[in-house]
Amino acid sequence: MTTHDPITLEIIQNSLQSAADEMFAAMKKTAMSSIIYEVLDMGTGILDAKGEIACSGAGIPAFIGVLDKAVKVIAAKYDEPGAVRPGDVFATNDPYHGGVTHLNDIVVAMPVFVDGELIAWTANIAHNSDVGGMAPGSLSGDATEIFQEGLRLPAVKIIAEGTPIKPVFDIIKVNSRMPDVLEGDVWAAIASVRIGARRLAEIAGKYGVGTFKTAMDHFMDYGETVSRTELANLPKGTFELSEEQDDGRIFNVKITITDDAFTVDLTDNPDQSPNPVNTSRDGVMVAAQMIFKSLTDPYSPANGGSFRPIALLTREGSVFHASEPAPIGFYYEIELRVYDLMWRCLAPHMPDRLAAGHFASVCGTFIGGIHPDTGRQYTIIEPQLGGWGASRNADGNSAIFCGFHGETYNCPAEINEARNGLYVDRMELNTEPGGEGEHTGGRGIVMDYRVRADNGFLTAGYTRSKFPAWSLDGGREGSPNYVEYRPKDGAPQRFAFVSGLTTRTDDVIRVVTGNGGGLGDPKRRDPEAVRADVKNGLITAERAREVYGVTV
Amino acid sequence: MSTKTTRVATDVGGTFTDLVVFETDTATGQSQIRTAKSDTTPPDYEKGVLDVLEKGGVDPAAIDFLAHGTTVVINALTERKGVKVGLITTQGFRDTLEIARGNRPDFFNLHYRKPAPFVPRHLRRELPGRMTYKGEERAPLDLSPLPAIIADFKAEGVAAIAICFLHSYANPTHEQAALDEVRRLWPEVSAVASHQITREWREYERTNTAVLSAYVQPVAERYLQRLDDGLKSRGFTGSPYIMQSNCGVDSLQAVSRIPITMVESGPASGFWGAAELGKLIGEPNVIALDIGGTTAKCSLIENGQIKIMTDYWIERDRTSAGYPIMVPVVDLVEIGNGGGSIAWVDDYGKLHVGPQSAGAQPGPAAYGRGGTEATTTDANLRLGRINPDYFCGGEVAADMAAVETAIRAVGDRLGVDADEAARGIIRIANNNMVNALKLVSLNRGFDPRDFTLVAFGGGGAMHAVALAQELGVKRVVVPAGASVFSAWGMMMSDLRRDYFVTNLADLVPDNAATIETLFAETEDRARAQFEAEGVAGDKVSFLRFGKFRYQNQEHTTEVLLDDGAITPERVAAIEAAFHETYEREYTYRLDAPVEMVGIHLVAAAEIGKLTVAERPLGDDDPSPAVKGARQVDFALEGEHEAIIYDGEKLQPGMVFEGPAIVEDPGTTIVIHPGSRAKMDGHGNIIIDIAG
Repeated sequence: MTTHDPITLEIIQNSLQSAADEMFAAMKKTAMSSIIYEVLDMGTGILDAKGEIACSGAGIPAFIGVLDKAVKVIAAKYDEPGAVRPGDVFATNDPYHGGVTHLNDIVVAMPVFVDGELIAWTANIAHNSDVGGMAPGSLSGDATEIFQEGLRLPAVKIIAEGTPIKPVFDIIKVNSRMPDVLEGDVWAAIASVRIGARRLAEIAGKYGVGTFKTAMDHFMDYGETVSRTELANLPKGTFELSEEQDDGRIFNVKITITDDAFTVDLTDNPDQSPNPVNTSRDGVMVAAQMIFKSLTDPYSPANGGSFRPIALLTREGSVFHASEPAPIGFYYEIELRVYDLMWRCLAPHMPDRLAAGHFASVCGTFIGGIHPDTGRQYTIIEPQLGGWGASRNADGNSAIFCGFHGETYNCPAEINEARNGLYVDRMELNTEPGGEGEHTGGRGIVMDYRVRADNGFLTAGYTRSKFPAWSLDGGREGSPNYVEYRPKDGAPQRFAFVSGLTTRTDDVIRVVTGNGGGLGDPKRRDPEAVRADVKNGLITAERAREVYGVTV
Repeated sequence: MSTKTTRVATDVGGTFTDLVVFETDTATGQSQIRTAKSDTTPPDYEKGVLDVLEKGGVDPAAIDFLAHGTTVVINALTERKGVKVGLITTQGFRDTLEIARGNRPDFFNLHYRKPAPFVPRHLRRELPGRMTYKGEERAPLDLSPLPAIIADFKAEGVAAIAICFLHSYANPTHEQAALDEVRRLWPEVSAVASHQITREWREYERTNTAVLSAYVQPVAERYLQRLDDGLKSRGFTGSPYIMQSNCGVDSLQAVSRIPITMVESGPASGFWGAAELGKLIGEPNVIALDIGGTTAKCSLIENGQIKIMTDYWIERDRTSAGYPIMVPVVDLVEIGNGGGSIAWVDDYGKLHVGPQSAGAQPGPAAYGRGGTEATTTDANLRLGRINPDYFCGGEVAADMAAVETAIRAVGDRLGVDADEAARGIIRIANNNMVNALKLVSLNRGFDPRDFTLVAFGGGGAMHAVALAQELGVKRVVVPAGASVFSAWGMMMSDLRRDYFVTNLADLVPDNAATIETLFAETEDRARAQFEAEGVAGDKVSFLRFGKFRYQNQEHTTEVLLDDGAITPERVAAIEAAFHETYEREYTYRLDAPVEMVGIHLVAAAEIGKLTVAERPLGDDDPSPAVKGARQVDFALEGEHEAIIYDGEKLQPGMVFEGPAIVEDPGTTIVIHPGSRAKMDGHGNIIIDIAG
């Protein structure tokens, strides 16, 4: 029976959502890297037979628009009849082969068959702790080619009709410094796509393949309708912004909003860098999708249809459209820079939709070494919390992950100390000046790691370290992101980017993330709020007087 | 005249305080059940309890056993009616409570508001001193700043103090010392240290738990004290038992010390009842479903065992990170989908049901109290599933004109007629519930086809058969007195405490002694607590669970361990049990080392459970209970003429087939075409699903 009544279609759509959520839960509970199970640097999705994203699980917004691009490449590569079979599982991690992000992120995808017909895909992406390459954790600011950033999986089959292709698994494992963890995480991803595929087959079996496919199509059309309806409410015109970056590059964006398109023009930008601070064009598209979704309807589910009004212009060979073999390890900082650039470009024109700038960096911090109690290698790979910008009606949030992340959790100090064998001496709100305004930016954090063994390493890549979060309407800028190496003996050193710095017992690695930008003249801030800030130790009485004109 | 035992359950809900009295003839074991209801009386909730006892004609002096459930804790939390709390924590970590975990579930929403901490920064104070994760002292505790901190707290009007230090789960001596000193310096203040509530790691969750516990403690303590005094002054000679979130009851004294354990006690008793009922009727694998006015809740019971977890959060949903409370809570999924849930059509023509509810005021349109929005109940009336002439047990005249208007409005927005709209509402509501039921079953690796669905609450029986059909469940049980089933569950509860202790150890034979010691010490602690309350140590029974994972993983899988000491020889069998449990849930197993992360010990003692007598089965002919027949729309199966049965006239042994409706004062049972129902000797209706 093929029924296309709207209630049935909606029931199928709800079931897709719960299947995507179920995939997410399975991955989270089985993963071995804290970056996956705790930070939840991962995403799950359900795609139609053509690879359009129909539905996504929780996780991070920056991964929602990745899976469709990966599955399309896989589907195109295996386009001969019978090349994709029930029980197969594929993997890609290479942005030049559908991977979108960087080599640490392995996309695992599984076709879903009903009665011999390919009806959908389930897919999963997660950040793996170490995929080989020149540096532990696979990310190095020193890489000049993608070959130095780890093992490349160019959209390959890893399971054939349910049977793991052992040589592929052997290759994956032998390339990693943490082979057991990588194997465990890949299997967690497989469990996730299998659970999703099983669920989809049940749904399609129950309602019929025709109805199932119609439900997916309608769901994406619904996403498009929502986007177009809200697009009509945005101010129309062309908006431009140039912004200098910490490394001296100038990034330019031009956004044109019409009744039926949201066009982001990034053609006028620097050539790709020999350093891993480039991104694939797909990565930039994800950034555009994120800001577009937030501007239109942040509440309804995001799927392929939601993004149809977006047009993206890039120049191949530029920082935003890197060509092989450019390194892309820190692509996420570049993706964030584009995201923040678009946000900043539009904020003055859409003050009710967009707040002042946030700390806007993943602040990816990589610390590793030998656990002094277990003798085992440990690697911390974590994004950091920071301050968000003030909006028209509220102070910014303190200590949450940047716009790239979402349902992402920091690592508790107690678990950090047990698992990684170092001490967390403190984890506090950042009380440095910055972000003052009628509404204040939220606070970043200050965290001290005290290393307990010799021969450890520190790698980090932060942006917004020179130019902090931007303000609006006469508020003050936020404060910078940086990491400070405080050796037991010797003077502290401050970094935005550092690769493979050797650490010794009792050295302290201090992570400092920025306060968000302020909004409005500080002199207009409610004096009661200023007094509360003083009482709470967030600002001094002197600054209350100087900046806010309030005597406490 | 035969003697009788009187057991009483009272339950303080948001609107009403309920009473259920079980009078058991000691000779026959047969129980008479009576119910009464009176208004809930905030803020003096105990008054409502005393009122309802009086209204129900219960002489407190004659009560043999009194169990009490209350929402006083969850209300104090959600309405922010607790006291001002001061927090004392480890140096360098006073912002833990505000930093929280940094997540932003509503991730496309750039106006997300992070939940505000319950203690402002200036009342979060620090003491030097550190433990390691192994529980070794790294830096001694320095209590010298405490007098000045307490002076500040007093000046600020703090009424309760929470203490949480890093790694106190591994070694609580610093917390204990700080607590002792606080009590010495300020004997009147209410104070709690995190280790008294939980011995698990994750400092934000534990700190927040201690803070929320302190926040509600004076309120709950006062309430429980007044309740106890009020009952005593009316002649009650016993001591009430208080329903806990872990499905057990606990003594009033114990609960007064750590009242936060009551936080989710509302649904717990019903789930416990479902587990007990399952054992009674030989159905140990149960999915329990409780549908009330505003929500539907479900939980899975495997082999008679409820599942207790400690990752419980309040105010957490897709738009908010919420607040964690690390106490043992029955593992349940709750969705905003009950009888009063409002059906609405969004800007793009999609129909939704809930989570907004019409509540008790104005209630569904059918109440005729001015409600204009269609609810699930209205759709059930519109389709003939609920009898308009027997609405709310005949106590309310259903306003069918209002129902028609409300449903038609939904239909107009969808572009369909009222029939189609009503069916759509039921189908969407059912689908929401099916997805919730999948979360507790399929999502955890269980096949619902292996389970029996026990449905209760006012709306459970109305939807259960349709849900069972959808999930492939073969049997539905609607318990006798389904609308007061939670009270029955309370009568069946044990005095029960769940102990969770984090203690990392590789699962290898060499560690068997360490693991055994951890269990034995925790059992000693449990026994001592029970003995302090007059329960002999030998009356306490234990269940031992280990929490295991593959090395490098984080999340654990809980495995029930067989009785007897953990010896090196048993380790291999324990590991095998873990692999098996893991593979069922996650589709694969690994050849990797296994770690134990901690233990979960259940300590329980029986305290005068209700005895249950079975009546003999009589004739299978149901015709004496037939009330009539009417057209009923079963949504998916369309309209059929259904036989209507009077639930009060059904007798054990009677058998009948769908399409049928059973009308009971508290609930309506919808039996779809093809299913077959039978009343058992306990008065339960057992429905075997077609297909």
